[in-house]
Amino acid sequence: MGTLTDIATIARWEVKKSLTLMSRDTLPLAVVLFILLVLVTGFTAQTGLHLQDGMYRVGVDDPQVAQLIAGDARFSVYHMDASSLGINRDTFDVIIVQGQASGRGTDKANAALKTLSRDYGKYVNSIYNTESDLFAAYPLWIETESVKSELSFLATQSGQYISINPRRTAPVPDQAVQNIPTPSPTLSISEDDLRAQLVQSNAQNTQISRYTEALSSGSAMGNFKTPSQLSPPLPFDSIVLVFVFIFPLYFTSQFFMMSIMNERIERKGEILLSTPVKASSIIIGKALPYFIGMIAICAGLTLYLKAPPLIILPLIPIIFFFLANALLIGMLSRSFKELSFISIFFSTVATSYLFFPSIFANVHVISLISPLTLIVLSIQETTWTTTDYLYSTSLFWLTGAVLFYVAARNFKEERLFSEKKLVTRVREFLSEILPARYPFSSLFLLSGFAIPFVFMVQMMCLVLFFNLPMPYSLVFLLLFAALIEEFAKGIGIYTLYSRDAAFFTWKNLVIASGVTAIGFLVGEKLLLFVTLAQISDSVFGSILFLSLGSLWLPLLLHFAGVLIVTTCLKLGGKKWFVPGLVIAMVVHCLYNLYFILGWLV
Amino acid sequence: MKGKHLSIIAKKEFRGLINERTILLAVLLQLFIALFSSFLMVGLTSMYDPSSISRYSHYRYSIAYAGNESPLLSDLQASTNFRVYRMDLSTAVAALGERKLAAVIYVPDTLPDAQDPVKITLYTLQNDLQSAIVDVKLKDIFLQYEKNLREIRGGRLDIHPLPLQIPTSTGGGDFYEFVYGLLIPLLVFMPAIIASALVIDLITEEYQHETLETLISTPITFTEMIWGKVLACELLVPVQAGVWLLLLMLNRIAIENAAMILLQVVITSFILILLGTLTALHYRERTSAQFIFSTALVVVIMFSLTLTDNPLNLITRLAVGTAGVEQWLVLGATIIIILALGCITHLYAERIAKTHQTS
Repeated sequence: MGTLTDIATIARWEVKKSLTLMSRDTLPLAVVLFILLVLVTGFTAQTGLHLQDGMYRVGVDDPQVAQLIAGDARFSVYHMDASSLGINRDTFDVIIVQGQASGRGTDKANAALKTLSRDYGKYVNSIYNTESDLFAAYPLWIETESVKSELSFLATQSGQYISINPRRTAPVPDQAVQNIPTPSPTLSISEDDLRAQLVQSNAQNTQISRYTEALSSGSAMGNFKTPSQLSPPLPFDSIVLVFVFIFPLYFTSQFFMMSIMNERIERKGEILLSTPVKASSIIIGKALPYFIGMIAICAGLTLYLKAPPLIILPLIPIIFFFLANALLIGMLSRSFKELSFISIFFSTVATSYLFFPSIFANVHVISLISPLTLIVLSIQETTWTTTDYLYSTSLFWLTGAVLFYVAARNFKEERLFSEKKLVTRVREFLSEILPARYPFSSLFLLSGFAIPFVFMVQMMCLVLFFNLPMPYSLVFLLLFAALIEEFAKGIGIYTLYSRDAAFFTWKNLVIASGVTAIGFLVGEKLLLFVTLAQISDSVFGSILFLSLGSLWLPLLLHFAGVLIVTTCLKLGGKKWFVPGLVIAMVVHCLYNLYFILGWLV
Repeated sequence: MKGKHLSIIAKKEFRGLINERTILLAVLLQLFIALFSSFLMVGLTSMYDPSSISRYSHYRYSIAYAGNESPLLSDLQASTNFRVYRMDLSTAVAALGERKLAAVIYVPDTLPDAQDPVKITLYTLQNDLQSAIVDVKLKDIFLQYEKNLREIRGGRLDIHPLPLQIPTSTGGGDFYEFVYGLLIPLLVFMPAIIASALVIDLITEEYQHETLETLISTPITFTEMIWGKVLACELLVPVQAGVWLLLLMLNRIAIENAAMILLQVVITSFILILLGTLTALHYRERTSAQFIFSTALVVVIMFSLTLTDNPLNLITRLAVGTAGVEQWLVLGATIIIILALGCITHLYAERIAKTHQTS
């Protein structure tokens, strides 16, 4: 009961403090800026963005054509007769003589021709829209129907998506064939409605509209399109929208970061620490207002965009994760500039982790490693299961919780107000969760809890290398996965060694390596069984997570890896940590090659 | 104001950046983004212009044709992009669901010269990267068929558009507008934004860490200290922007007038840095200053984009080599704004210095 009151009190203080901090004409100015922002956005929508003006130079001999092209600001149009165009050929990217456009053959000229043909298409459509016989101008209509399908992860082993090796005979489906009704040969919409839609779609700025249309429930034209309107279905539409949700979260976690940092400046937080309130209560109390605020922002956005309310669920672990990181960054950085750079770095990495997998939403189960994919699916009105939710959010919950724990253990005077270097501070933070009284059991726990982070970084690599052609993606994954695991295992030992080098007698060294290896293995198994069964079935999975079949071989490998690193540390001192990691990585890779891929057999 | 004092402050800030190894993080960040650039190129470009991704695949896709005979069938069969199977609609759609086909087309028995339009039904996989490519390839064939049908029905048209023949470009130029018209200006201006956020950190830090008194007790004046910090941040801009240009060039993206681009960025970044300085001087506290500044930054950038010949547009034009005399006019206007902002900053700093002395 006392803890809850403490938390509530701290949360109230936090709100009051941030409001008084804001009072110095920040809020009124923020409101003014917000109004300005809305005005400027409106203005931009009217005038358009002048980012690409005058990129291309075009020479034209016909004033009518010149006028037509000048409508696009990307072109600087020069009107002169055919002979002077010929003389000045090289100053133009494209020249148009007697209705025939020709480029200079450079990349730029090709891009100019492309833009020109898009513009011309628009112009032609604007003429055809006014034809009295609409079906003479638009004789062909296409009704698009989408069919749902999800690729199993195994299929990528051969690097193919859709069946692309045509055979002589038509393919035969494996499963039962459902009867598809024969489509009606006529359009179900009147000619006038179609015309109105054509005029409207031609007037739209497609660059912008295709993002905004992702949520609006389709136009009255339904699925009917003319061939030129047949732009491909974009898997990216909803992702752009997702950013609308993520960006406010960055902002808010910045405030939290700063609030933590402010406690540390000139030891202002000392009074708070001298009270009998527990460190964990302080942290939770301080984080609570931001957590609620972020949820409220997301809920508000959901309501405003009329998105399905279910998308809040995958956002909660993201918020939790962001707050945990903000807390630690606020506790770690010594100066504002360090805070800025670390937080920019963190947000870039986090964005790529969240953003890139969700590009593959609907294509590949790998996309589910990012909670954003669930949001994309919700927006598309595709259902997802509780297993999907667990699968994509568990890493965020776990890493967030571990980071909060580390922060709570370190939320005390000597850590908060020390002025040591970043790496030293990180080591001290870790040292705090490795009590000297129980070195072995804490090493065991540390390497076990390192697993979610290892998986996260490995997933990141998987996403990163997924773009590379097949053999390279495997090779890089092999190297990096091994390095990351060895690093995660070695870090606890390194921390202990820097604190007390004498502790590592040969006997203790072997025991420490052993418990680290066991902790790592146990953590790996536990998390694998809970979440990652799908990915672990594939070739990629077997590299990342070793074989699940036998227990003693991976244990031996983990043990050997840690032992190499520890021995290097003992014999060579701290500077041998990195070489030790490299040797362990090589051993790890050889093991993987030998046992899993069988390349050396 | 003494130049020596300015350089002392600038050197102090640089030493701080190097000591804290934060500069290392900045470099790491730059490398990280560069690593993702291949993905940026493919992923973001296709977001910007999805039809460009079709160049990436030269596969032959299996598609099914259901329904009645039409000239479209021979067009499809003639295409090197597709392998066409005549199939029953239901079977074909089932095979599509199992990814054994890339698309299914159903064609009704409407005659080419009929009063009604020809309505084709196209079945594709939902929201799929590959089906996007298939769509683009099919679109070309549909457009050709539409053109043929239009010629057959040509007599029924009232107005004919101005004729213009445009050669279909042979490869290349897909990423051009994205790279030059978006990526380069954004990347080159990123250091300016980072530098202006940095100046806020540097100034508010002196206030919040209460190191200001010590600094002012030295022969260096408050105003000199502020200008020294501005100088330090300003010097970072050409270094970072230069690295970006170098990385882009290593990626085999030819950039013209690189020196002019750097000059423009260095000058324009001055505006942002001075704005940051003013915000920091006003609030003397990081949270508010950064919040207000970043919001104001969005407004300023959005507004400048609505102007013709804005600095970002100028970077694009310089990079593609179509900038004319107007670049000097813009440079001149920018310098006038900087002078004005510089005067305001100077006066403001002097005023604050006076209040410090009296208190």
